[in-house]
Amino acid sequence: MGKRTSLTLYWKCQLIGWTIAAFYWEVDAFIRSAHFNFTFAVINFIADIIVNIIITHLYHTYALRKGWHQLSLQALLWRLIPAVVILSVVFTATVMLRFYLFNHYILHSFSGSFPAYVVNAGWVSFIAGIRIMFIWVLAWHMYHYAQREIKAARENAQLQLIAREAQLNNLSAQLNPHFFFNSLNNIKALVIENPDLARRAIDLLSDLLRTSLLHKQGQLIPLRDELGLVKDYLELEQLRFEERLTISLLADEKLMNISVPPLCLQTLVENAIKHGISKKKEGGLITINISEEDNLLKMTVQNPGNLNNIQTSPGLGIRNLKERLQLQFRGSASFHIIQHDGIVLSTLLIPGV
Amino acid sequence: MKKFKVIIVDDERSAREEIRRALLPYPDYEVIGEARNADEAEALIHAHRPDLLFLDIRMPERSGFDLLAALPDVPEVIFTTAFDQYAVQAFDNNALDYLMKPIRVERFAQAMEKHGKKMQENNTTGKQLFIKDGEQCYFIKLKDIYLVESADNYARLHFNDKKALIRASLHQLEEKLDPDIFFRINRTQLINTQYITHIQPTTGGRFTIHLYNMTLEISSRQSVKFRQWNKP
Repeated sequence: MGKRTSLTLYWKCQLIGWTIAAFYWEVDAFIRSAHFNFTFAVINFIADIIVNIIITHLYHTYALRKGWHQLSLQALLWRLIPAVVILSVVFTATVMLRFYLFNHYILHSFSGSFPAYVVNAGWVSFIAGIRIMFIWVLAWHMYHYAQREIKAARENAQLQLIAREAQLNNLSAQLNPHFFFNSLNNIKALVIENPDLARRAIDLLSDLLRTSLLHKQGQLIPLRDELGLVKDYLELEQLRFEERLTISLLADEKLMNISVPPLCLQTLVENAIKHGISKKKEGGLITINISEEDNLLKMTVQNPGNLNNIQTSPGLGIRNLKERLQLQFRGSASFHIIQHDGIVLSTLLIPGV
Repeated sequence: MKKFKVIIVDDERSAREEIRRALLPYPDYEVIGEARNADEAEALIHAHRPDLLFLDIRMPERSGFDLLAALPDVPEVIFTTAFDQYAVQAFDNNALDYLMKPIRVERFAQAMEKHGKKMQENNTTGKQLFIKDGEQCYFIKLKDIYLVESADNYARLHFNDKKALIRASLHQLEEKLDPDIFFRINRTQLINTQYITHIQPTTGGRFTIHLYNMTLEISSRQSVKFRQWNKP
């Protein structure tokens, strides 16, 4: 959609711009030239429009393919100078050829050879070419620069929005009300059955509550902190699920200082409980692995379960995580989830190793 | 005195323990079983026909609602939930009560009082079904159903000026409903004969019946059966 409208805008500018330029040249010629020829003016007018659209369109196609519209100013500059020169040379060549052929063969007003004509009149034509091509290329790049700036501004606004949303979701996602109230109910039972465990559970729940209340938006936190949160959460869930929840955690200690988006691992673990363990009568094993792979931080969470019902509409937590990853790492982080033989495996790759 | 039989259904042990503890001050109630999931609960209910069920809604594999919908006769239910109160509030007032975990003593007492009252007045009311039609849930007394119509793979239940659509064939429902009261008048309709106000013979030995301000036709094949059925 956006591409289509910019294409039409591009063609509109091309047609209108070159028509005006060609018209200006003919009016200029009419005013200055003593022997103005109407037939030649019409041919010239049409040829100017067509030839210039073709050569600038070639530039347009080439620059887009090479990604010049996304280059920084400095990288662009040393490409632009030769580009403008080449465009001007082509421009000059076509103009000169046209003038020479018409005047030499039809009007018989030129008697010299073509090279002699070029040497004689080429310079003026070339300067005109440089001027017009420079204006065209400048306008083209200004347009793309503006587009890029608008897009960046829009993305920034979106990032802020998502961060704010994440903060809200945070409270309801991390402090999943089901988890919260079931934990409180569990603690209530523990108070009688095992007061020491009850006290421990209150400490853990307090820390989780505090983290979600104090969590600052849009910031990265050390993996160590994220893992601490996950451990607290799992300890509480183990008190609830008892023998139905088994945990295996393998984490490379030297990766603990890497910065990660808050709640990235927590979201995966919570999903593993919600869609895996709590859906199974006999419960099961959650395996968490944190390692380094190809200079990326790799976090995997494995749980028994089926994807069918989740994948059709990924939960708020996963959707939110994907958006945050995309905006934070611009495609260099990735998340995917697969299922095989009743085991669901989610993998999160984050740069920063 | 005969005690009320209670079954507690919850996938968390500590949650079941909490209900047991809350029931201690009620000597008229006896916990005859605990279930960790819908399957275990279903077996227990068939075996013991409890007077009261404490039922968690979110459970592995089958929810509390799924369990109730599978029962041919639904006992009195008090739902217990951590945060699904919206799902339970959608009920018509036939549901006994719902409790939010952790459960407060006074709130528990209220629910028990409701159950006590219901047990006193309800000695003769008979079986009830649990129906979930989209978001809306109903506890329907069999005697309140006056007409069941089939609609493709669904059946439409008419009861107390209300209608509910459930995923079941007429044949399946016919088996659940009391054959002394319910009669299949044609391929698509099953009626509660206690709601018949008038029977009118028509051509070819068939009958037209007036039922709860509707006029329905009995098919010729079923008219033969209806004559025999109506005699004794």
